[in-house]
Amino acid sequence: MATTITAPPTTVTEYAGGTLAREQVSLWRDGWRRLRRNKLALAAVVYLGLLVVVAVIAFFWTPYKPNAIGTCDTYAVPSGAHPFGCDELGRDSLSRLMVGTQVSLAEGVGTAIIVLVVGVTVGLIAGYFRGTVDAVISLIINIFYGIPALLVALVLVVVLGQGLLNIMIAISATIWMDMARLVRGQTLSLREREFIEAARASGAKSGKILFGHIFPNAMGPIIVQATFVIPIAILTGAFLSFLGLGVPPPQADWGGMASEGVAAIRYVTHIVTFPSIALSVTLLAFNFFGDGLRDAFDPRQKR
Amino acid sequence: MLEVKHLSTSFFTDDGEVKAVRDVTFDLFPGETLGIVGESGCGKSVTAMSVLGLVQRPGKIVGGQILFKDRDLTKLNSEELRQIRGRDIAMIFQDPLSSLNPVLRVGFQIDEAMFAHDKIAKEDVPERGVNLLKQVRVPDAQRRVKDYPHQFSGGMRQRAMIAMGLSNRPELLIADEPTTALDVTVQAQILELLRDLNQEMGTSIILITHNLGVVAGLCKRVVVMYAGEIVEEGPVEQIFESPQHPYTWSLLRSLPRVDEKRHERLKSIEGLPPDLIAPPPGCKFNPRCPFRIEKCFSEDPPLEMVGTAQQAKCWVTMKRAYAEMNAATITDTRPGAASGVRPPAELLQVVADLRTLEEPEVLETLAENPQLLEQMVSEEPAALEQLVADHPAVAEKLVTEETAAAVDGAAEDEKSE
Amino acid sequence: MTRGTLIYIGQRVLLIVVTLLVVSFGVFAAVHSLPGNAFISEHLHGAALASVLHQYGLDQPIPIQYWNFLKGAIHGDLGNSFVIQGEAITPLVLRELSVSMELGGAALIITVGLGMLFGVIAAMRQNTWVDYLLTTIAVIGYSVPSFVLATLGILLFALALPDWTFSLFGTAIGYPLRWQGTYGDIVQLSLPAIALGFYTSGQVTRITRAAMLDVVQQDYIRTARAKGLKSRVVTIRHALRNAMVPVTSILGPLVVSIIAGSVIIENIFGIPGLGKEFVRSITSHDYNVTVGVFTIYTLLIGVANLGVDLLYTVIDPRIRY
Repeated sequence: MATTITAPPTTVTEYAGGTLAREQVSLWRDGWRRLRRNKLALAAVVYLGLLVVVAVIAFFWTPYKPNAIGTCDTYAVPSGAHPFGCDELGRDSLSRLMVGTQVSLAEGVGTAIIVLVVGVTVGLIAGYFRGTVDAVISLIINIFYGIPALLVALVLVVVLGQGLLNIMIAISATIWMDMARLVRGQTLSLREREFIEAARASGAKSGKILFGHIFPNAMGPIIVQATFVIPIAILTGAFLSFLGLGVPPPQADWGGMASEGVAAIRYVTHIVTFPSIALSVTLLAFNFFGDGLRDAFDPRQKR
Repeated sequence: MLEVKHLSTSFFTDDGEVKAVRDVTFDLFPGETLGIVGESGCGKSVTAMSVLGLVQRPGKIVGGQILFKDRDLTKLNSEELRQIRGRDIAMIFQDPLSSLNPVLRVGFQIDEAMFAHDKIAKEDVPERGVNLLKQVRVPDAQRRVKDYPHQFSGGMRQRAMIAMGLSNRPELLIADEPTTALDVTVQAQILELLRDLNQEMGTSIILITHNLGVVAGLCKRVVVMYAGEIVEEGPVEQIFESPQHPYTWSLLRSLPRVDEKRHERLKSIEGLPPDLIAPPPGCKFNPRCPFRIEKCFSEDPPLEMVGTAQQAKCWVTMKRAYAEMNAATITDTRPGAASGVRPPAELLQVVADLRTLEEPEVLETLAENPQLLEQMVSEEPAALEQLVADHPAVAEKLVTEETAAAVDGAAEDEKSE
Repeated sequence: MTRGTLIYIGQRVLLIVVTLLVVSFGVFAAVHSLPGNAFISEHLHGAALASVLHQYGLDQPIPIQYWNFLKGAIHGDLGNSFVIQGEAITPLVLRELSVSMELGGAALIITVGLGMLFGVIAAMRQNTWVDYLLTTIAVIGYSVPSFVLATLGILLFALALPDWTFSLFGTAIGYPLRWQGTYGDIVQLSLPAIALGFYTSGQVTRITRAAMLDVVQQDYIRTARAKGLKSRVVTIRHALRNAMVPVTSILGPLVVSIIAGSVIIENIFGIPGLGKEFVRSITSHDYNVTVGVFTIYTLLIGVANLGVDLLYTVIDPRIRY
């Protein structure tokens, strides 16, 4: 922290920063302790850990090639060789499900990162500079709140093209506002605190103050908010795939597989079942984890 | 009319049983005005809530009887209690802004109290609602029944609360801090209103307050509560004239007095009310009492008659305190100040701590707290002797003429007892 | 209605207009700048293509096209479809809007009704198994995608009733997988509306529960009980009425969620609503329809948000703009 401020000597800032850093440390430690006591959140963490392991394994090994057609009969029901059965083209559902894990996690985490970068930057700028800048940003946020989210994502995917990155950008465009609004509020209140005043008085540049002082102190709520972005992003991604505007075929993903399953529902039910369960349980796990994180790290929400 | 006998109410929290009200006994005659006084947390509100059966989980009435017109309210089921609430016994609360529902019209909130019971004919309700507001002197009542609480001023809200309380012509009105949230002129108006109601309609009133001045303005009789118990009870004039419990005495001293020529610094009562989960042994006021004696630390005094119609729960009582201290006025209200009696555990602990220290540190501590040595000399000579045995240098500090004499005197006292 | 309220409404209407302009231009420019359109995919060539493009004004620069669109839109004319040639979009969209509104309205009623009911019960039975069960259902509600729930519903119907219909008191009741085009058919509407409403009901449960737990601590609840009101009256008239204030605050986002969900649900159940039309238009490059539907949805959300703001003043008399 001391390195971010050049001249003159900044004992006050360093002192304030130091105290705050210590407060933060104990806040994190308390938070982790509370989180560990939440059994549901812990179970969610274990499940999500396993999911990451599956996603990593799927890079190196799957029972069959996920896009290989005709590994068994069309609509083959689950069996020893194909525990989750096969789809319309005779592709192994287990292999596709494993690869689909990668898509869902990438969509969730990737979108969260984009939202984090965009939302935090926009929120910091609006909250710190206030005035006209804030008014313009707030208007943009309000406009985005006024348009149907999924439709924006659909149009953007069509305009940008159906790549994974484009999908993440499209989803981000529909959910960045909550983060921006949160960070704006945090910044508005933090910028009046003494240690920020001290940093400003000592001639620190706006960028340094924003990212070196305000951002670290708003970390708790920001991380909680980012955690809730993940399930929303996965869900939106699945919606897009379900409507045929997700990752392009033949890439396997859960939403697309569920869509194929619904199409085949009059003949077999296993195709729609497994991706639906995978999606539901994963979203449930992220929500439980997010709830646990919020209860543990966001004292305002404590009951 | 109302007889509360040995009432005990507890709250069962994670930390243990909070005994908010213990063994409270008092009665109320028709048309009487009774004040219940005490600091916040002394159990006066919980007592009132218990009477109405409004104590919520984790709270529970754990013992005693509440006889209202010969029916024991603690034995009634929730529907029977509901029919008494607001109909026979009404209650008004401290903060009239938070106690009125913000999203419902004031008139509706008064009317619904009448609709909930069959005492007032349904068709008379709207008109009576307006008349009640007129009766409690809300101007332009006809129009203001349609207002919401936030459109009323603080005093008007409290008037509306009173109108609501009176709507079913209850026999008993319990007013919990009815004037606390209001400014002084409005306070006086509300008190006057309550006094008129009592005199004109014969409604009995229990007034709960922390302010003895408010009691003096309205009540005939007063009950003083401390730490969940009644510590003094009697006619208002008598108690104001000669309080017998040191707590009542301290409360009265904390009142600002208009008739006093010299403006003395307001004396608040030193210390905090005791922890109701694990209260101190003996009298519960002992940690804060200026007049305590050794007995106060070991035995809990009973509530005894101390004069005509006056009861107090104290081993000493002010009568004896004045006599023994040989003084007409006592000004120092600090814990133990007047009697000099230290809680035994406290002083012994200090000595025990000192014995574990190195000698220079002990001397330093004693030098910093000159009165400590004096207290040891007067109260715990035996412990002091042990300290001197451990740290001979302490003896040197004692060898000034005064203290040496004191030690000798104390040692002789010890023997003679 | 006070002067302040009118000024507030004016500001909100202005925001709606600005949003409509920004959004419609954004979408218009985006879809019209895409390479290819419905006509190119129909293999029209040379003079024929040029003639059709000219007929639709597609040979002009995008700002001019948008200006023409805007001139029409102000008079309620959203232009013509490319795919269903000559079909005017406005009547088409309005017809579909009525279907979507029926579905969305039913879903909104289910969401708010079920969510508030569960929320109140959970709060009244705080920290009992009932509370845990209902809050878990709430989390499941907003975790399970609506298409999963819809599929599950269809499967259950299929398992119980292989021929999709059964008889109840002599009346044939069944679930048609394809929309029959009859409005107000409760049975037909039930499954899609439940699948759509259940997702958002979880959020309502959660907010209602938290709000009720907060409200029952308030002094005016104690007053209401001291008056001798029945506990049912205290809960509904005094507690729930106040708890509705925070619930109202999520109604706006709820409408947005339901619109998003309806796009999926209408596609699964083949319901001829705006959501299905939107997906069809965007996948078949019928861009005039895309812009039209988008505009209608944006207007709908704007009006819904304005309605919610006015609803606030009804529920909480302290709120004045």
